[in-house]
Amino acid sequence: MSLPLHDRALAGSDGSLVRMTLDDLGKPSFGPQIVDSLIPQRALLPDEQFRFHFNMTKCIGCRSCEIACNEQNGNPTDIRWRRIGEIEGGSYPDTQRHYLSMGCNHCLDAECVKGCPVDAYTKDPVTGIVLHSADACIGCQYCVWNCPYSVPQFNPERGVVGKCDMCHGRLTDGLEPACVNACPEAAIEIEVVNMTAWRVDYAAAESPGMPAAGHTISTTRITLPSQSSAQLERVDTGRIRPEHAHLSLVFMTTLMQAVTGALAVTLLSHTASPLFLTLLLGITAVALNISVFHLGRPAYAWRALKMWKRSWLSREVLLFGLFFLTLTTATLIAWAGILPIPALQRLQPLATNSVLQNSLGTLATLLGIAGILASAYIYLVPARPSWNMLHTPIDFLLSALLLGTTLHPVLSSVIEALITHLPLLWQFTTATSQHNSTWPVAIATLLWLTNQITRLVRLHRSPLFEQRASATLLNLPDLRAALIACFGLVAATTVLTIVGNPVLACVAATLGILLARYLFFVSVVPLNMALTFTRGGTH
Amino acid sequence: MWNRLRRALGIDTRKSSYSFQRDPRFGHIASARVADSWVKTTCGYCSVGCGMLIGIKDGKAVAARGNPDHPVNRGKLCPKGLSEHHILDAPGRARLPLLRKDGKLVPVSWDEALDTMIEKFRAVQTQYGKDALGVIGTGQLLTEECYTLGKLVQLGFRTRNNDGNTTLCMASAVAGYKLSFGSDGPPGSYADMQHADVVLLIGANIADNHPILCHRLERDQTRTLIVADPRVTKTAMMADLHLPVKPRSDIALLNGIAHILIRDRLIDQTYIDQHTTGFAEYAAFVATFTPEHVAEVTGLTEAQILRTAHLYGRAKAAFIGWTMGVNHSTQGAATVTAINNLALITGNIGRAGAAPFSITGQCNAMGTRETGFTSSLPGYRKFDNHQDREDLARLWNIDVDTIPTARGLAYPDIIEAAVAGKVKALWFIATNPVVSFPNYSVLEQALRNVDFLVVQDGFHPTPTSDFAHLVLPAAIWGEKEGTYTNSERRISKVNAFVPPPAEARPDFDIFLSIAEKLGVREQLFPGWKTTHDAFQEWQRVSAGRMCDYSNFTWQQIEDQGGVQWGGERLYNDGIFPTPDGKAILHTVPCLPFTEQPNEEYAFILNTGRTVEHWHTRTKTAKVEMLDAMVPNAWLEMNPLDAARLELRPHDRVNVVSRRSAVKNLELRITGIVAPGQVFMPFHFSETNSNLVTLGAFDPISREPNFKQCAVRIEKLPTSLH
Repeated sequence: MSLPLHDRALAGSDGSLVRMTLDDLGKPSFGPQIVDSLIPQRALLPDEQFRFHFNMTKCIGCRSCEIACNEQNGNPTDIRWRRIGEIEGGSYPDTQRHYLSMGCNHCLDAECVKGCPVDAYTKDPVTGIVLHSADACIGCQYCVWNCPYSVPQFNPERGVVGKCDMCHGRLTDGLEPACVNACPEAAIEIEVVNMTAWRVDYAAAESPGMPAAGHTISTTRITLPSQSSAQLERVDTGRIRPEHAHLSLVFMTTLMQAVTGALAVTLLSHTASPLFLTLLLGITAVALNISVFHLGRPAYAWRALKMWKRSWLSREVLLFGLFFLTLTTATLIAWAGILPIPALQRLQPLATNSVLQNSLGTLATLLGIAGILASAYIYLVPARPSWNMLHTPIDFLLSALLLGTTLHPVLSSVIEALITHLPLLWQFTTATSQHNSTWPVAIATLLWLTNQITRLVRLHRSPLFEQRASATLLNLPDLRAALIACFGLVAATTVLTIVGNPVLACVAATLGILLARYLFFVSVVPLNMALTFTRGGTH
Repeated sequence: MWNRLRRALGIDTRKSSYSFQRDPRFGHIASARVADSWVKTTCGYCSVGCGMLIGIKDGKAVAARGNPDHPVNRGKLCPKGLSEHHILDAPGRARLPLLRKDGKLVPVSWDEALDTMIEKFRAVQTQYGKDALGVIGTGQLLTEECYTLGKLVQLGFRTRNNDGNTTLCMASAVAGYKLSFGSDGPPGSYADMQHADVVLLIGANIADNHPILCHRLERDQTRTLIVADPRVTKTAMMADLHLPVKPRSDIALLNGIAHILIRDRLIDQTYIDQHTTGFAEYAAFVATFTPEHVAEVTGLTEAQILRTAHLYGRAKAAFIGWTMGVNHSTQGAATVTAINNLALITGNIGRAGAAPFSITGQCNAMGTRETGFTSSLPGYRKFDNHQDREDLARLWNIDVDTIPTARGLAYPDIIEAAVAGKVKALWFIATNPVVSFPNYSVLEQALRNVDFLVVQDGFHPTPTSDFAHLVLPAAIWGEKEGTYTNSERRISKVNAFVPPPAEARPDFDIFLSIAEKLGVREQLFPGWKTTHDAFQEWQRVSAGRMCDYSNFTWQQIEDQGGVQWGGERLYNDGIFPTPDGKAILHTVPCLPFTEQPNEEYAFILNTGRTVEHWHTRTKTAKVEMLDAMVPNAWLEMNPLDAARLELRPHDRVNVVSRRSAVKNLELRITGIVAPGQVFMPFHFSETNSNLVTLGAFDPISREPNFKQCAVRIEKLPTSLH
């Protein structure tokens, strides 16, 4: 990389471009001087990248870097690509208080890069800077969930995520990043790091108030105070607030689990009918359409398929997409034998092929289950500890079971009601055998509740702060009420089934699981850097 | 509709608002911050006096940068400075003159506003005497405006009851300097912090309050930084040695250091003999401040006191800096003299690195001190000095008898006089006493008691303008041209780069219009059109004085990044502006603070600032980024006390004093504060610390004792969580 600033400064032609360095402070000379530059003065060698160095012993917590960053990047107030945090320890008067300042850590194993379904992230081959393309981004926010430092932030005004790019554009001009430029204490600088050596020993990235560096191998070097006898701790832990509810995902995951479950039940009970399949297909279409509104850029949802080899989010989209196609095919074929539509009638030979019918149904079910598991894998991210538990995939599967077993009789009754009112429809359904399915519902309820309660207990007793904090959030008055209602509704499912009210049972199960999923989203406490007591600005 | 849909679908990502361009001067940056031109100016917040460049595009200020060539800040700014351009188009600016009619503030013309103001003031002054008008100015005005206002009030309205909000912040430093050296004027420079090998900061949390000074105290091997503060401030964390003194024990510490210095012969006897008076008495007095006694009073160990004294005494150059921990006290002026004593007996004054240095508060507190017509006559002249008055009368071409022979009431006394019905009209200029004045209930009585209350401010509504009968909308920083003087006596140029909003006018123009209507314009301000005319007269008035402005033009000030009157430091020759040319050593007893805690009010409340906000937040609350960083106040309490009171982090508490209560504060449990003490920031009108602070004032400087009062802490019922 060329360093025009350096060249110009040495030529002495442009004094005002040269930043203050410690050595020329207070000396009344205005000539250009390059002393202890805060950006590297040489091009990168192979196996090297740029990184931040943050010197905690110099930082006075003035927050100039935060403002400079927002001014540089034109970000709104509530988005901060660089943030300040406080850590504190010891007892008066030997209290220690220090500050953290963090942009992006431009990790060696950046999770944001790996998870992105549209390949919006690149680790710049020249500088190692983790770059994000707003053009490629579809606003799925999976990177927000994946980053252990909560670095990528979703900008609702734009519908895309954004993050610190180490002021790549300034660096290439030979200028230091805005935060480096603004810091009055020269506490932030850009350094060169050898990636192989750093991968072996990244201990200098560790700091109190920062998530463990090993997960993504943060490249930021942090100079800690030497005589830090006191245990420095976060001061923002009392400020944990519920996260975004992602309602479209609450509905999408719940409905997809219901459809898959119901499909499985109908196959097992040999009760598939064109009408039944059509209803399931309808629910699937609704669910998939809802899911699109989770995106900041729904128009580009199709792009999410792109990274199926790497991203669980792509895989989820792919599997649910295939599920939808298979179910559509199965449904069309089922109708083929019945409907007097020429195009469909050509498929009639297939319709009578029960092996094919069953195979398609089984394939769809398997795709649905695979999709549910892919869904669950999205949430198995270390950066979100209360999601990153075996309970998540178990919950998703058990929810499918519970919803499937309660939804199936309801859909069957709907079909019967339709037939009653529109006798013409009788031929579109197979004779449903109304065998009472109490015990599957009861077992599903029991397993589901056991899984949830075990999860709660484990969260509560976890050695991880973020998991305990999730338990604490769930104990907030509003959320606790929701949790009790959720358990009550799910328990009521069995009771209502036993007393023979499958419709109410289904409603109870659906509401209970929607509530559980809502709580799942809002109660997650992401890994993050320690923030300030007023928590970086959230009211 | 189509655009909204495009945005909802994500076809539009507001890309144009988030694009980048290359600014010719500062490189790659958000397009919105690329400027057509850059204007030099000086920051309008604190007294550090940072040089700035403001980027202008299409007539709007779009970017703020530190001026890389400015000797004060070398291109750096604190978060307030970096976002200062946002205050110009912030909501809540005062736009129109407003007059209260039938209980409501309604827009009126400037003519009606000023006619009414003069009519009301005249009526009050005719009925109750000239001094029934009280005027409270500010350290936020330009030097040229301060000078103009002083003449207008004292010689135009002929009231002596003229003071500034500076009495709330550095009056004690002024009084202390006058007592020791015979004149105001901080003797040192910022550069002295770097030249010194020992820097002692007393009651100065510069990391929060003057962050751009901190780089001068970078940790190194050659300098020892000692910070005396009851709280473990950000600045205390920078120190090599933190002295966690008990509140208001600083005088004992200073006297105790003197005791050790004299005992261990670490004093400069030659300097004492040649340049000071009163040493014998002083030495005898501090003899009683034995390390043992001082340790008991301050809560420090004898070893800490001894180490501090020896560090200070053995330093080749020692610097003492202080701010509000010293000034905000009923013994503020006395404490300043105790600091000066240490500098004098060790000869640590008038040399590189050696100074007793008051770090001022507001951007132009110094300008009001120099030109003000409040606690002294312009040019550090004395009311009671006949020659000084004669000088001014000659310069101004007026009768010497029109110049008062004594100062009028100080700010707190004007307020008390208003409560007592002696001051019947008040005029506040660019200050917000409802939040900044101690013991709010008394102030409220004063505001309600007067016949006519004028509030002149850049913002409306403010908590104070809510009480006003007349609101005069004023221009603010960025809309006016003139000079500020910073803590190190550096006069810096302030420039206008945008017009004031709507009908708001520069304070200077308002003053001249009032003078015109009062019929004194030609007499007091002959031929004046702009602040430059005021500057030129001020140059003549200050010529030959200590604060001599006559040797440099506006242009020179701007080109040189500010000019220090008096040079880098004062008193190089050891000659002081006292009758005998010698500085005076005062004996200063250490008295306990007024309102001691007891069983009912068990805590000592300390107040202070946070780096994100300025004063009463009329400006910084309007800068979204700053306000979001620290949107509310909190109360700091030691974990031991919290455990005893069974309080938990983030509990909501009330702070109750004998006077009133601050309600619903968020509790921060932290080892930053000592057991038995609590701390809250004072910026917030919503949780106004001055509801509970004490109306006790320094008998010499009249500065309020904001720092210590007795309170109890009550937990709010959880229902209010």
